[in-house]
Amino acid sequence: MNASAYCPTNLMESDARAIARGLRQRDPELLDRLIEQYRHRLLRYLLSLTRNRELAEDLFQETWLRVLERGHQYNGRHEFSTWLYAVARNLTIDHLRKKRPDSLDGLRESHPSLPLEPADPRPMAWEVLQQREHAEQIGAALTGIPAEYREAIVLRFQEELPLEEIATVTGAPLGTVKSRLYRGLNLMMGRLERIQR
Amino acid sequence: MKPDIHERAKQQLALGEPFVLTQPWLQVHLQECAACRDYADGAARAIRALRSQPFAADSALVQATQMRVRARALELRRRRERLGIVCLCAVAVTLASAFTTAVLWNGFLWLGQQWRIHAPLSQFAMLAVGLLPAIVVSILFLARGTHLADSRPSLQP
Repeated sequence: MNASAYCPTNLMESDARAIARGLRQRDPELLDRLIEQYRHRLLRYLLSLTRNRELAEDLFQETWLRVLERGHQYNGRHEFSTWLYAVARNLTIDHLRKKRPDSLDGLRESHPSLPLEPADPRPMAWEVLQQREHAEQIGAALTGIPAEYREAIVLRFQEELPLEEIATVTGAPLGTVKSRLYRGLNLMMGRLERIQR
Repeated sequence: MKPDIHERAKQQLALGEPFVLTQPWLQVHLQECAACRDYADGAARAIRALRSQPFAADSALVQATQMRVRARALELRRRRERLGIVCLCAVAVTLASAFTTAVLWNGFLWLGQQWRIHAPLSQFAMLAVGLLPAIVVSILFLARGTHLADSRPSLQP
């Protein structure tokens, strides 16, 4: 028996291949599972790009429709999440280009202080308030930094993607991803300090 | 120009934990440099804050998406089935046309020989018979577009 078959990398690859096979067949059960599995992560990523909940939700649905239609293009060589984020990113860029052709920062002026929305946690009232305040502070700090830095930070520290995968999703060289993370984190730290003071 | 060791240390710290733990020079530097240690603390706090940010997508959104995806999948499957039928019909028509053309060609040649008609004439007759259905259909379509359309009662008040 081949011992390497139990290696986590191989397991991930076989998962990715199984997903690729299911997507080629447009398996609705698989798509339901994937939508459920990536619901929070994908919406958070879209929200970090658009800073607009309504638009992020529209793009969330459009992303899954695109996944259904173009599922045959996923070859299982990368993580599914990498491909999914790339699809979502391209859709967002297309949408924002149609709306305002200059850059991803197009929405900044229209929603200057809209923070990323926190979840409804449901513990005690003061904990809810504290968590909400905390989430709003982070959201406010995130929304204030340029889109390309924000995207790198969200993908790295919230979606936990490796640097190489971030480079694949964003189509940027690895060095650029690293410098975006560095600059973004510097800006983020400065803003967090100012907000918490 | 190469960045100095403090800048390099900060750049590495901004990439997250694995990069800090796997680089001995960085750990040594952090023990020696208070400013970089402060930066490391600040970065770790910011990263922890980012990771702890709660976020949830509505169940309603998930259900609506699943429904839309299922509906679209059904539509795409039906479209593919229809396309399959169209392709099958196209193949059947091509085969039938090839067979009919061969039969008509040989039939008209044989008739021409029997009635001692010149070959070009029998070929022209075969062409006319072959094209007759298409000509009739074209005439009907033209009539529908002009004469027959005018003869129908109008839906406008």
